[in-house]
Amino acid sequence: MKILTIIPAYNEEKSITSVIANVRRYVPESDILVVNDGSSDNTALYAAAANAMIINLPFNLGIGGAMQTGYMFARDNNYDIAIQVDGDGQHNPSDIQKLVKPVIDNLTDMAIGSRYISRTSYRSSYLRRIGMIFFSALVAFLTGNKVKDTTSGFRVVNRNIINYFAKNYPTDYPEVDVLVKLHKKGFRIMEIPVEMNRRQNGKSSITPFRSVYYMIKVSISILIDAIRPADSQ
Amino acid sequence: MGKMHLINVYSLSIIFSVTFLFIVIEMVRKNKIQERYSLLWIFMSIILIVLSSSPYFINTLADLLDIVNPPSLLFLFGLVYLLIYNLHITAVISKQAEKITRLAQELALLKQQKGNREKNV
Repeated sequence: MKILTIIPAYNEEKSITSVIANVRRYVPESDILVVNDGSSDNTALYAAAANAMIINLPFNLGIGGAMQTGYMFARDNNYDIAIQVDGDGQHNPSDIQKLVKPVIDNLTDMAIGSRYISRTSYRSSYLRRIGMIFFSALVAFLTGNKVKDTTSGFRVVNRNIINYFAKNYPTDYPEVDVLVKLHKKGFRIMEIPVEMNRRQNGKSSITPFRSVYYMIKVSISILIDAIRPADSQ
Repeated sequence: MGKMHLINVYSLSIIFSVTFLFIVIEMVRKNKIQERYSLLWIFMSIILIVLSSSPYFINTLADLLDIVNPPSLLFLFGLVYLLIYNLHITAVISKQAEKITRLAQELALLKQQKGNREKNV
């Protein structure tokens, strides 16, 4: 069973070293790939020093393009399982095994690490919670899937989804969008409660104005997605 | 009808569209615009030239559409055309953005592979 951990990173030099170390500690059987999304800091250097494989994108593609590059790599190198962990250290690698197990046992095609499914110590802002509830309701309405943490970037997928993502991955607002796409293709999705850390370094790019704008953009995008034929990108 | 000035919306319109057509053809000739993107502009200028060549066309059309001030039909026409052309351009840009993303991804994957091979030698 070949396992790959994909860490998309854009200017994460402060956290990337510890994220790699933690993944290696909790999932020693996994190869680690950092997709450096055109960082202007020393992310690439730190990742190389930590002995991770690294793909340097020539310029910033955004999270969708960067993640897809990781999935293309996983497909081309015949990985069976791909783990997606953010480069900013907000995901706890000690939880990865909880997500990997149901995928290996073929209970699901994708496992999502969720902040909301049960009482975890994660606290988030009001606005963020409203947004999450809204997306959750929208996804439930469109797919019948009750996913609570629709924007979580902490995910584990099997080979079928690796192949699918390598070909089709939304560029603009991938996390929520993908749920609707996968549902249409008949993939199984499972949510598993995990602990989330506060961001170790750097501020979240989300401001009130931006998050409202983000909500509108993503909503339009997935509503259109819902009326789009399943095979076209 | 009021008196016809030598310089009015029709004559200005003709001057403008002829110049425009000339510029478009010149840009295609110098390979600054690809042929396929010039076609719509060339059609546009020809139609504009015809419409502004004589008040007859525009007056008849305006009459048919119950438009009181015939020259406003020219503006309406121009506006609708620009709207459609902009949409077309947005589609072109989106396609190109997708291709550029794919190129960047393939390039990055190849470089990784190459670096790997050199390490193993």
